[in-house]
Amino acid sequence: MIETLRFWAAVALLGLGVFFTFVSTVGILRLPDIYSRAHTASQTDTLGAGFALAGVAVAFGWRNVTVYTVLLLFFVFVTNPTAAHAIARSAAETGVEPLLADEGDETDAETVADGGEKR
Amino acid sequence: MAANRVLVPLSDTVTVRQTVDYAVRSGLEDADELECHLVVALPYDEEMPEGRTQAEEAEELLSRARNWAEEDAGDAEVRIETAALGTDEYLFGPRDYAEIFASYAREREIDRIVLDPEYQPGVTARILQPLERELDRRGVSYDEAPVDRPARHGRLVTGGQRFDQLFATFWISFGFYLVLGDPFYWFDIVTGVAVGGIVSTTLAQVTFSFPLDRVRSPIRVGRFILYIPYLLWEIVRANIAVSAVILRPSMPIEPTLARVNARVRSGLPLTALANSITLTPGTLTVRADDQRLLVHTLIPSAREDLFDGGLEKAIRFVFYGREAAGAIASPRERDDADVVGGDEL
Amino acid sequence: MIPEAFALEEAFLVAAGLFVVLAIAMFYRAVVGPTTQDRLLAVNVLGTNTVVILALLAVALDQPWFLDVALIYALLNFLMSVAISKFTVERGGVL
Repeated sequence: MIETLRFWAAVALLGLGVFFTFVSTVGILRLPDIYSRAHTASQTDTLGAGFALAGVAVAFGWRNVTVYTVLLLFFVFVTNPTAAHAIARSAAETGVEPLLADEGDETDAETVADGGEKR
Repeated sequence: MAANRVLVPLSDTVTVRQTVDYAVRSGLEDADELECHLVVALPYDEEMPEGRTQAEEAEELLSRARNWAEEDAGDAEVRIETAALGTDEYLFGPRDYAEIFASYAREREIDRIVLDPEYQPGVTARILQPLERELDRRGVSYDEAPVDRPARHGRLVTGGQRFDQLFATFWISFGFYLVLGDPFYWFDIVTGVAVGGIVSTTLAQVTFSFPLDRVRSPIRVGRFILYIPYLLWEIVRANIAVSAVILRPSMPIEPTLARVNARVRSGLPLTALANSITLTPGTLTVRADDQRLLVHTLIPSAREDLFDGGLEKAIRFVFYGREAAGAIASPRERDDADVVGGDEL
Repeated sequence: MIPEAFALEEAFLVAAGLFVVLAIAMFYRAVVGPTTQDRLLAVNVLGTNTVVILALLAVALDQPWFLDVALIYALLNFLMSVAISKFTVERGGVL
């Protein structure tokens, strides 16, 4: 019984992890500029990695190594926003212009249409 | 003959006395008049607790330095000006220091900066070489004072503070070591103590560049643990909102840049806030100058959440307690949040 | 109920495979760019993916020490991103 529960819990967590990483990958390929891609990159780092590592923790059960998954998640949570910020800031300083929607007029549709992914 | 003007950045080192002496003597060599600007650059702004004590220390150092300079000047015609710089902003790296010195020098037509070889403003590391490089880039001429004792001397940290830093660093590194190893195996415990000892003696001052508080620091750690579930909840909500937008074929994104003036202290609280904002999908901190955060937002709902200031409240709760969190209005209400154009980058 | 011939290990193996596929898709951004920061971001996400894949393989192959590797990899990944983005800013150039 417990084994069954654990199995399905692990599978569900893995499924969610894969789903959010999938969304993040789609976002990184679809979104028009570096700044918006950085948003979706943090999805992999938070829920994608979070759910997958939770699945790993469930699979290992109460063992010594389970602490590792918590540590891993902690590192990912502490370091990745810092890295994302460093990347965004370096983009800003090297003069990469963000694509902005001008107060909700039609430019955002246009922005998406001629986005950078079709190069 | 026009007066020589010289700028001397001061910090509390063993060679600061000789630096002032050199600045005055060398300044008088080829001119009969000297205008000597003694300045202290404060890394934190005055609104913070550390900032105030630093401002007091700076005042004291400036008055001492003024006396030295008067002594060295003797009968010569020397005008001494003192100033504390950077009281209204947060100085981060050599670049900020160089910028503030250069602009001070420009305003007062100062043609030479005399640097203390041990120059060490504020915290942790000495920044002389990067500072010199930055000054070079700005085309400011500088001069390193020749001093007798270029030996390395740490900043004066009181015994209690030093002990707290060692203590905290030791237990953090030892605990981490045991988590990776086996906490019940004697070999791991012995090597863990050795490693913790080495790490804490070498890196304690780097790890904690701020003074620890024996009561409040553990409380903050406890409150931070309470903060984690809230952050996770925010992350889940934002993830779902962003996923919905990305997966829709029309992808109705509305990227904007927003400026938010955060009411948290620079340093660790600001880092925690900026990182939390970045960690939440839909908002990304592009810049954090002083307390002004430049945030790129992807969708309107994320921007609304940012302007409602939930995370800011939570961070204030972590670092300052419940009252401070409850007392603050949202950034929108206090007029600290607005959408800006791309040229603000 | 656990389906027969489909043990926990295999579920993790499948998940790891899916993550690899997503990582390969991410390569597109790493190759195409267009800016250095785009590539850097893609490589950073790839690094996170690698960490997750390592953790999943630790279960799938029952090798708990893979998690040690993952831990080190996470730290190195962070250092790399910060170092490279600092490099692009300070030197003002593109790699």
